[in-house]
Amino acid sequence: MDAVVRQRESAVDRLVGLVDTENPFDMPFSEALPRQLEAINERFKDRIEKIKLLQNRAESGGITEIRTMADIVPLLFAHTAYKSYPEGWLVEQKWDRMGRWLDTVSTNRVRSMDTSRIKGLDEWLHRLEEQSHYVSCSSGTTGKCAMMNATMADCEFAGHSLLQAIVWAGLAPNHDRRMIALGQVAATPRNRASGKPMREAFNRPDVAPFAPNVPPITIGGITEMIVLRKKIADGTAKPTEIAYFEAQVVEREKAIESSIEQAADALIESRHMPLHIMGIFGPLYKVAERVRAKGYSGKDFRENSAFVSGGLKRVQVPSNYREFIFETLNLSPARLCLTYGMQEANTNAPRCSAGRYHLAPWVMLLLLDESGENLIEPSSSGELEGRAAFFDLSLDGRWGGVISGDKIRATWAPCACGNRGPSVSDDIQRYADMASGDKIACSGTIDAYVRGVA
Amino acid sequence: MNIVQESSKSTAREADKATPAPFFVRGKVVEGTGVRHKSRDLGVDFGTPKIDLDALITLRTEPGPLFDVKLSEILDFLAATGERMRLDKNGHLREAVDRISATNVLPRSVIELNVRMAADYLNKAKLLEYARHNLGDERVLDEWVPRVDSTGRRSFTRAFPPRLIHILPGNSPLVSAQSIALGAMVKAINLFKMGSSDPFMAVAILRTMLDVDPSHPVPRSMSAVYWRGGDEQVERAVFQPQYFDKIVAWGGGDAINNVIKYLMPGLQLVSFDPKTSISMVGNEAFDSDEILEDVAMRAANDVGLLNQEACVCSRVLFVEGNRPQVDRFCERLQRKLVDRNAVSGKAPPLPRDLAEEVESMRLMDDEFGVWGTGDGSGLVVRSDEPVDFHPVNKTANVVQVAALEHALKYVNVATQTVGVYPPARQIELRNGLASGGAQRIVRLGDAGGQSIGAPHDAMYVMHRFVHWIVHEDGFEAR
Repeated sequence: MDAVVRQRESAVDRLVGLVDTENPFDMPFSEALPRQLEAINERFKDRIEKIKLLQNRAESGGITEIRTMADIVPLLFAHTAYKSYPEGWLVEQKWDRMGRWLDTVSTNRVRSMDTSRIKGLDEWLHRLEEQSHYVSCSSGTTGKCAMMNATMADCEFAGHSLLQAIVWAGLAPNHDRRMIALGQVAATPRNRASGKPMREAFNRPDVAPFAPNVPPITIGGITEMIVLRKKIADGTAKPTEIAYFEAQVVEREKAIESSIEQAADALIESRHMPLHIMGIFGPLYKVAERVRAKGYSGKDFRENSAFVSGGLKRVQVPSNYREFIFETLNLSPARLCLTYGMQEANTNAPRCSAGRYHLAPWVMLLLLDESGENLIEPSSSGELEGRAAFFDLSLDGRWGGVISGDKIRATWAPCACGNRGPSVSDDIQRYADMASGDKIACSGTIDAYVRGVA
Repeated sequence: MNIVQESSKSTAREADKATPAPFFVRGKVVEGTGVRHKSRDLGVDFGTPKIDLDALITLRTEPGPLFDVKLSEILDFLAATGERMRLDKNGHLREAVDRISATNVLPRSVIELNVRMAADYLNKAKLLEYARHNLGDERVLDEWVPRVDSTGRRSFTRAFPPRLIHILPGNSPLVSAQSIALGAMVKAINLFKMGSSDPFMAVAILRTMLDVDPSHPVPRSMSAVYWRGGDEQVERAVFQPQYFDKIVAWGGGDAINNVIKYLMPGLQLVSFDPKTSISMVGNEAFDSDEILEDVAMRAANDVGLLNQEACVCSRVLFVEGNRPQVDRFCERLQRKLVDRNAVSGKAPPLPRDLAEEVESMRLMDDEFGVWGTGDGSGLVVRSDEPVDFHPVNKTANVVQVAALEHALKYVNVATQTVGVYPPARQIELRNGLASGGAQRIVRLGDAGGQSIGAPHDAMYVMHRFVHWIVHEDGFEAR
């Protein structure tokens, strides 16, 4: 037990432990910074021995100690670090090699196992869970999957801290609502873990929470599509495989369509009780449209609450989409909790009454220039713009330093809501969305020859 | 067409910092910087005039300025333009080089070399040879060439001038000169849409033409403008079969997908698809140290050409040998790539995702070998099969194979040039390469060369540009 006691005393745990205090978001940056630097240095000293990629980064960046925020920058991992495995290994199901790769970006050793009888990615991931590696995967059918290792503690913390953030943001869970989950998220350990505490806190005991009855989007299922796409590109896919691929795309679209229909029906059917809706804006808008089409709107519903994560994810909706959703489902800004987060990190930033996303003190906000290579020093007043990066001290199974693809405006000054911690304006943009389709060159790859899917 | 003056002083002041990128519309320069744009690769601001859409169109009732001009006269004019480009008395090209250096990732020395190559390209004898080889008989450009078939039926064929939109690539100023020359030789009405990484070169060449003869029909048949690719306001209005016959487009992905939307009967695509080029190095490379040194140098030339920005640049090199041999080749190739920096400068550093993938490979040294770093000075990655990223910025992926034939399975329709060592083995490989989809086979080290009038991307370009028209005149009176 000695070890546990020592751990509790660590700078990391003192910060992460704030999750159970009443208002962790009120800690001023000046107070948080020295504690964060001490904790990040502590993490660094421990993890440099464990995470091979970190060791490589520290060596090439000449970093032996974290004293300033700038020292952290060369050690940040972009999401690409978690998809740096050769895709061919996944296509050819070389699980032993994939395991060796995963080990280079993990805190705890990925031990070699007999992979000869493993059929498919889902099974490999399952076998990894037996070794206490909970690997989540970013979705997407055209690009590579980012594979991010986590411990059970990470998964539990993700769910627990999310619930705490939602309560902080003003929603009061009281086991008196029916949870309506819109679905359409990949069945990853992190997504599973983050939904559970919310469900337990909000859902009334006499009604089953709703989730659309469609085939789950498994990581293996996503990957199967990625693999097929690669085979199509390589010219090794047979026409029947291409037909299967295209049929799967249609199936997926149908499943999305069906989950929208089912969610709309569930909302209407449960309209006499208070509801708690969980999803992302794009699908939520579509569901609201469907509810309207069926002849229902705000006046038919009780005062509902909602939790919405993430941005629009490139879904095209009218500019008044939020008002439309609010009016249709009888939501209000006060009964809506929004969070800003990224798959690579563990902790979400909840939105305050003044409409800004707040960083917990165990998450350091680092603002970088567009290249992601240089720190923009925090300022004690006003807002600064740049690329968002974070160091999430709650992350255990992998390195906590991550660079996002987001362009944000941040302040380290107290927020209008009264909280003194750093906060981010809600007009977050993705750098990838800002680039125009204007690059023309004669060089390129076979990928341009594949009929794509969105 | 008059020179358009800047109308709003306040916008002109705002645009002060933006590099001016004038337009050229049917023989006249159009000045103005009222519209601001950002170059795609380096994010540099440039300012253009507002586009006058009507001015870009020549109605079909109006014949093009070149329709009745003889090829020989056109070639004389192009050659004179080449001369003027070399002298550059009015500094149009110097100015273009300055400006391209700011918007383009290519180093200045490479851009200067491109401009010299562009001037040299405008050579009468070579261009005539090009036309003759592309069309079989260049007379079809000037005349209705008669023929009587085996049944006695008479016809006259002419390669009739087309109406072309050229979507120029941003990665090679030389392509602007080639497109202008080919567009002139087929007597087309030409609209050049410049790329954001080089919205200058085509206009600089066309301005030089005005120095030769301000009223010549060649510049009068040409317009070069910029709009952001995908701008529907421009493209929906202009990409119409009523106005144009063909869209000649370089590139792929967004650029092509964007153009494809507008294709329809009467408006065809001539596409220079995105390409990857490769090398095949036989075990003969290891016969002696001198040979290996020479082969590594040739390979580095093909990889590092134009700082690996062009489609002919080798990116994946299949090397026949055992692990120690292949590693020796990798080590030398990396050194030769670095040596080239003295001549052509470093390439930009690798994008972050690619650098990250390479660093992961360095960590997995059982499977991969990595020589050099991703700073743009030359990087070699050895693997058992091609890596899944597109090697750029002087990055070579060396793939160890037991026999070169084993590499054929990696050849596909996106494979353009294949450099082979030793040259004798081109013969045994070429059918397999062509069958896989490759379009050009050369000796290793010669990827940058060009046989005059040879097919490009599996087509005779000029043949595709023209409108083949037949006039059939029945049977001769018997």
